[in-house]
Amino acid sequence: MTPPVPHPLTRRTLLGSALGLGAAAAAGCSPAAQQQRPGDSGAQRTVTVRLWDEQVEAAYRTSFDAFTAANPDIAVRTTLVPFADYFTKLTADVQAGNADDLFWLNGSYIQPYIDNDLLMEIGADFDAQRPGWIEPAVQQYTRDGALWGVPQLTDGGIAMYYNTQLLEAAGVSPAELADLTWVPGGGEGDTFLPVMQRLTVDALGVRANEDGFDGDNPGTWGYSAAQDLQGIYYNFLGSAGGAFQDAEGRFVFDSPEGRDAFGYLVDLINTHRVSPDAANTNDNGDFTRDQFLQGKIAVFQSGIYNLKNVADGADFSWGIVPIPAGPRGRVSVVNNVVVCGNAAAEDADAVTRVLQWLGSPEGATPIGASGAALPAVTDAQPAFEEYWSGQDVDPSLFAEQGRQPSIGAPTGERYGAALTAWKPFFNEMFLGRLPVEEALAQAQQAANEAIEG
Amino acid sequence: MTVPAPSALPAVPSPGRTRRRRHRDAPVAWVLLAPALAGIVAFLALPILVVAWLSLTRWNLLAPPTFVGPDNWVRVLTEPTFGHSMLVTVLFVAMVIPTQTGLGLLMAVLLSRGLPGSAFFRVVYVVPWICAPLALGVVWKWIFAPYGGALNALLGTSVEWLTSPALALPAVAAVSIWSQVGYVTLFFLAGLAAIPGQLLEAAALDGAGAWQTFWRIKLPLLGPTTFFVLVTGVIASFQAFDHIYALTPDGGPQGATDVIAARIYLDAFGSGAFDLGRAAVMALCLFAVLVVVTVLQQRFFARRVTYDLS
Amino acid sequence: MTSPDTRGRRRREALRPASLLAYLVLAVGAVLTLAPFLLSFLTALKTPRQFASQSPLAWPDPVTGENFAELFGGGGFVSPVVVTAQVVVVVVVGQLVFSIMAAYAFAWLRFPGRDGLFWLFLATLMVPQVVTVVPLYTMFSAVGLSNTFWALVLPFVLGSPYAVFLLREYFRGIPADLLDAARIDGAGTWTILWRVVVPLARPIVATLVIITVVTHWNNFLWPLIITTGPTWQTVTVATAALQGQHDSNWTLVMAATTVAIAPLLVVFAVFQRHIVSSISLTGFR
Repeated sequence: MTPPVPHPLTRRTLLGSALGLGAAAAAGCSPAAQQQRPGDSGAQRTVTVRLWDEQVEAAYRTSFDAFTAANPDIAVRTTLVPFADYFTKLTADVQAGNADDLFWLNGSYIQPYIDNDLLMEIGADFDAQRPGWIEPAVQQYTRDGALWGVPQLTDGGIAMYYNTQLLEAAGVSPAELADLTWVPGGGEGDTFLPVMQRLTVDALGVRANEDGFDGDNPGTWGYSAAQDLQGIYYNFLGSAGGAFQDAEGRFVFDSPEGRDAFGYLVDLINTHRVSPDAANTNDNGDFTRDQFLQGKIAVFQSGIYNLKNVADGADFSWGIVPIPAGPRGRVSVVNNVVVCGNAAAEDADAVTRVLQWLGSPEGATPIGASGAALPAVTDAQPAFEEYWSGQDVDPSLFAEQGRQPSIGAPTGERYGAALTAWKPFFNEMFLGRLPVEEALAQAQQAANEAIEG
Repeated sequence: MTVPAPSALPAVPSPGRTRRRRHRDAPVAWVLLAPALAGIVAFLALPILVVAWLSLTRWNLLAPPTFVGPDNWVRVLTEPTFGHSMLVTVLFVAMVIPTQTGLGLLMAVLLSRGLPGSAFFRVVYVVPWICAPLALGVVWKWIFAPYGGALNALLGTSVEWLTSPALALPAVAAVSIWSQVGYVTLFFLAGLAAIPGQLLEAAALDGAGAWQTFWRIKLPLLGPTTFFVLVTGVIASFQAFDHIYALTPDGGPQGATDVIAARIYLDAFGSGAFDLGRAAVMALCLFAVLVVVTVLQQRFFARRVTYDLS
Repeated sequence: MTSPDTRGRRRREALRPASLLAYLVLAVGAVLTLAPFLLSFLTALKTPRQFASQSPLAWPDPVTGENFAELFGGGGFVSPVVVTAQVVVVVVVGQLVFSIMAAYAFAWLRFPGRDGLFWLFLATLMVPQVVTVVPLYTMFSAVGLSNTFWALVLPFVLGSPYAVFLLREYFRGIPADLLDAARIDGAGTWTILWRVVVPLARPIVATLVIITVVTHWNNFLWPLIITTGPTWQTVTVATAALQGQHDSNWTLVMAATTVAIAPLLVVFAVFQRHIVSSISLTGFR
């Protein structure tokens, strides 16, 4: 019933070559793994470190080369997992027992790892080093007197990157941009919105403050308002005087201040059209950065974590100014990143030594020296400033903002589940399809139900 | 996954000619069967038991699993999420199956005219079907992109194809149809080719036009093919995941594209929730639905009598 | 083998209005089918600068290979291609050898419980992948095999019920006299299987090779769940990750989709007649 079909394979080639190839490949080898395989260092022990930042990974490689030179018995490999997948993959891998020996965590996600005894305590072995770490980072990761990670990066505060040419074309000076105020609902006393309208141009060259502006056909956008927790909405919420979570970790953003802050952002996007439509940005955290780098956004509000991306990627002249002030001044979120030891690591001694190295000024200096991020090890910070002064960039603004009042970074044992729960409502709110009051109320209820499990 | 083609349904194995070999064969047979049998037991049968056990536990991966009895079943069957996902899945299937079947039949009829160049078109239509659905999903994600996307540039619009609750599911269904029409076409072509020439000649002698021949003779004779294409299409569409994940990784606007396969993945691994128990319950429900569909299909084909059983 | 007469009739047929209409529909279908491939390939050949400044439909000017260079350089796409190729080779070889063995036993050997076992094989055809990935993940991680090469191949390498089913059907179509003759010549089961049965079954074996290559080159859900980081990423997983990471960098992302699609297009171009007939014969999916 099956008619013969013409075919190009003979039995000999089919079986012979396939079996040969199969035997050759049977063990399976990955070029990506070989790239990282320590060379002929003769190291007996290998420690792996997982992180999400490509720029810092390169700095870590430099750092670990120095480490292995001083500790020939230990080789260190890095694993890069993109931030979008980082915490889901880490959870799965910790469960499966193949998470790396050391891994980065941030304040949002560390709690369940502490609660389930999955981390090595940063105990007496580190007492000598601890004073060398910035205090807010140590505090953020201490629970009942026990510290659970070695501080690595500190984000300082948030600031605004601007495109000089686009500013000039709109007749806006950097000094003007550096001193803006937003007012809930806009109107009297709001200097931020008018400037952003001047900076926004539609496809035909009409500016957003002029008659005939067509927000449906964007040319360049003035500002980067988007559903970006750290870069955008936390700062507006904080400078409105609101909070995202209370001391117990319950979500409290459905407040008068919350409605002010989110209402203002949603209007920037959907009413005044000075920022890209949320359809572009809701699921794409890099859209505004990429558009800024392509000269399509005049003012990009973000953190020090994008400094190197901007410096490397912008082929126009640019600068940094403080974020706009709100009813409570300039308030931004300060977050720190720690590297943690996996409690299940086989070679706890080697892990401790690598952690100590990363907590030392020598170990953390390459991070600063590459300009990738501001180290949370105090004595490694000058290298960062040196790198950027060599580039004629003054990143001190981030640190200054970091010393201003700040709004607590997100946290909680079931933070991931809460984020999943509130995100759909925020998506609709930023798209302008769900009124801010309803969206915040529903999102808050969903998030709080999620943390109760 | 696959379902046997109708022309190749298993006949109950008939006895070989030499009964006396029965016992001598057994050791050899078991050696030959061992690897495949081990694979089926370990990777298809055992997982069903494991998923049944998981459905009775609460597990977020970080803390050890705890036995919670029917708790997950109660949650899944009473909370609206699962019902919503099933509804979305049924809507998706309802958009995809009639459209791809109709288009496939149309293309097959046009190709069966034997016009010069038919072979070329026949090959072209199958191209999307051979390619990775994930990669095609990513391509279409760009085509649908609200800013910098090809479709809006072509139409001069700024429609939010994938982020509008009304358009997201039709857009995702369109990609599915686009990639499968060629596959359906091939089956109808085979079905049309199997219609005995005498029947068509007799109809022509009776003065039947092309239109009448199609409705009175070809379409009824294509019944089994149509049924096969429908059932395999329904089974595949119920499991659709790759291109939907590429187009709308988080279930779409207001859950508009939250089909059941995507929901299982998201609940288990894809969101921060790590609710393996819930995912297990939904996986078993999906399995039950597919078993029912498949059994109905098998029973239909077991009873059918057709022209081509020569 | 068309005679001049039929060819002439066909040409006349082709010029009738109904035929022209048919051509129009067929051509529109072909354009709709191919346009996305063409557009994405053209985008992969554009500079990011051109993409940002001109219509997405503009012709690439200048034509650049920089997206592919970045993809295989910094984008780390060499490893996924190599890993996927290895997975495909190992799965194809394993699945075919073990399925052929099982199919032969079902087709030509007699042993107690054969029919029941065969129906068990058939029943497993109904188990969809999305149902088994969650338990398979827990099983593989329980034995410490997640994010390994073996995790990628093991669930598939021991044979597929579908392949067993198709092979058995084909094997049963082989005349029993041939096997008996070989047996009388003193050939053992192994020799008969590989020297007599498999050569006769080359069409279905070739079909299964193609089916398996396509299925496993394109496989996504299982590799997505069981792999972490770049080491064992397959092409589909790497494409999805790249899209998540460089979401609006479409020129680079389209280079990635081109790499994910192109090898199968080549396979398809070479074996297209065979593939097309395989699909209608086996309903492969």
